[in-house]
Amino acid sequence: MSETIIQVRGLVKVYDELIAVNGISFDVKEGQVFAFLGPNGAGKTTTVEIIETIRTATSGQVNILGLDIKKNRTDILRRIGVLPQEFSSFDRLTVRETVQYYSRLFKGEPDIDELLELVNLTEHRDQLYMNLSGGLKQRVGIAVALVNDPEIVFLDEPTTGLDPRARRDVWDVIKGLKKSGKTIFLTTHYMEEAEVLADDVAIISKGDIIAHGTTSQLIDQYCSTIHVSIRGAGPGVEEVAKNLGLTLENRENGTVTIEASNNDQVVEILNNLKARDIKYDGLDIRKANLEEVFLSLTGESLTTGGEE
Amino acid sequence: MMDAKLIYANLIMLLKEFHRNKASMFFVLLFPIILMLLFGFIFQDQGEMEYDLLVQDLDGGPNARNLTAMINSTGLFGVTDVDPSEEPGQYLIDHKANAMLIIPEGYSDQFDAIMLSRTTGLPVNETVSVKIVYDPANSAAMTKIGILNSIIDGVNKGASGAPDVLVLEMETTVSDDFEYIDFFAPGIIAMSVMTTALFGTVGMNTELRQKGILRKLATTPLSRSEWLLANILYQLCMAVLSTISILLVGMGLFGLRPHINLFLPLFVLLNVFAFSGIGMLITRFVKDADGAQAAANAVMFPMMFLSGTFFPLETMPDFLKTVANFLPLYYVNEGMRAAMITLDEGTLMTSTVILVVLAIVIFVLGVLLTSWKHD
Repeated sequence: MSETIIQVRGLVKVYDELIAVNGISFDVKEGQVFAFLGPNGAGKTTTVEIIETIRTATSGQVNILGLDIKKNRTDILRRIGVLPQEFSSFDRLTVRETVQYYSRLFKGEPDIDELLELVNLTEHRDQLYMNLSGGLKQRVGIAVALVNDPEIVFLDEPTTGLDPRARRDVWDVIKGLKKSGKTIFLTTHYMEEAEVLADDVAIISKGDIIAHGTTSQLIDQYCSTIHVSIRGAGPGVEEVAKNLGLTLENRENGTVTIEASNNDQVVEILNNLKARDIKYDGLDIRKANLEEVFLSLTGESLTTGGEE
Repeated sequence: MMDAKLIYANLIMLLKEFHRNKASMFFVLLFPIILMLLFGFIFQDQGEMEYDLLVQDLDGGPNARNLTAMINSTGLFGVTDVDPSEEPGQYLIDHKANAMLIIPEGYSDQFDAIMLSRTTGLPVNETVSVKIVYDPANSAAMTKIGILNSIIDGVNKGASGAPDVLVLEMETTVSDDFEYIDFFAPGIIAMSVMTTALFGTVGMNTELRQKGILRKLATTPLSRSEWLLANILYQLCMAVLSTISILLVGMGLFGLRPHINLFLPLFVLLNVFAFSGIGMLITRFVKDADGAQAAANAVMFPMMFLSGTFFPLETMPDFLKTVANFLPLYYVNEGMRAAMITLDEGTLMTSTVILVVLAIVIFVLGVLLTSWKHD
């Protein structure tokens, strides 16, 4: 088991009447991608900004890199990298100048070209920031978060508002960071992002952490349903479900989905199909995802909710 | 606490952005030039104080010609003769003029008669009159009447046996080197520098806040005081640009001949420090962009009108003069005028001391009250 690099205990943040963060506690292990998953307004950004030392907690303890956030602000800032939510930068600096400017603030002398290579921006290095697409801008933000060779990188909603292609490009960059051994604190409301990238997921809703574990632990624990989707199935498939006592859902496109609660039931479904000689065109067996975990925990969807 | 390298890195970054932003370059240079041109042309005439005056001489005698010559010689009027056959009221309308002096027929003879009777020592109640036809809605006409009255006053004194008094008196009021443009140029510099520093700082910082750039800067080791100082130095560069353009326009087009000494850059610097600092404080407390603009306007307008930029304070009611004593721009104006025109040492010292104290107070407040952290 690797070392704990961030330790949060009983963290509370109250705005006027609103309790944004309700006494949460969690640990982040060194070298892992930790995902803070929750809908907008759940308290993700508030929490992460408190850990980054740019917001003050109402109460609670946060230790990061062995340092207390209340006492060692400057030391902490030198050792972490931050991509803030909705990152933006100076319109009329080029990509290279932007990275250079931020590296000067840390008085470091990183190999800027190597950094740009790492986030795949080499060919855009001389373009003005204002002329970049959303995905490229986010990658500039990630490069900027790396100028001080930080031990922990905070990425607050790094792919919000990006198209699927740009999102995958940003994911590739994050995977590369993980390989280089950095600890990554990721906040997101995209369950797919957490599934693809995270070693450890904490699900936050209305200021409380309601579940914490690896993706498969969370799924096994909170939503073990296995979806067996049968495309173009002949008559008799309803019988199969009925005999096994399982729920069957009819889809409009001619696909029926039977919800199994464990692997044995899946095997039984398949055996039954074969025994009754029911023909079908295609078969898809899928475990539940984090979206469904969230749904089963809160009764709400991840992607709805107010602005944070 | 402050690191010169960090301040320098920020200054270079801001200048680079400015240099690449054609629109902002245009406004930093053009706004003061337009102001200078505008007020330069408006007050050019007042500087020389020459009004056009129409004179219709229905008499044509030697005394009438003397009066015209006297009006001419004051240097206050450019006299245009109007043919005796013209109807004055219609002529004014047709020529878009606002005042015409009419010397009636028989003026010369009557004038001589009165003079003659005076030398005989007999009491005389007789007078001779000239008439002015004018447009009562026009303020220039009123000014002309005022000046004509004082000329006539002079003629009366001359008639009582003291010639040339009139000429001397009038010359003392216009021969002063202090022209309107001289009064104005330091004020324009002070105001342009204030506007650039105040609105430049507020505009840039609210924009950076909205874009989330300030939030990003908060996660770097850059301190608030370093950022504040980099902003002030950047605004100082802008101020130097606009000051130079105003001086060039003033000297090139309007014959401005200011004294150039170290007090001029000193007041520009103090002006920037004070108003850039006020701008920083505004963006600290008024988070919303429109609100911050409104707050900056609320700071600017009283300064503009009550600090003696456009109107000399002497013409204002006493309580407004008192208010002016509490406005920083008043001391910038006074100081700049003293530095560029009058070289009055007392004013230079008072203004310098007050502004240095103010700049330090605002800077310290800026450092103490503004923090990267948000609640």
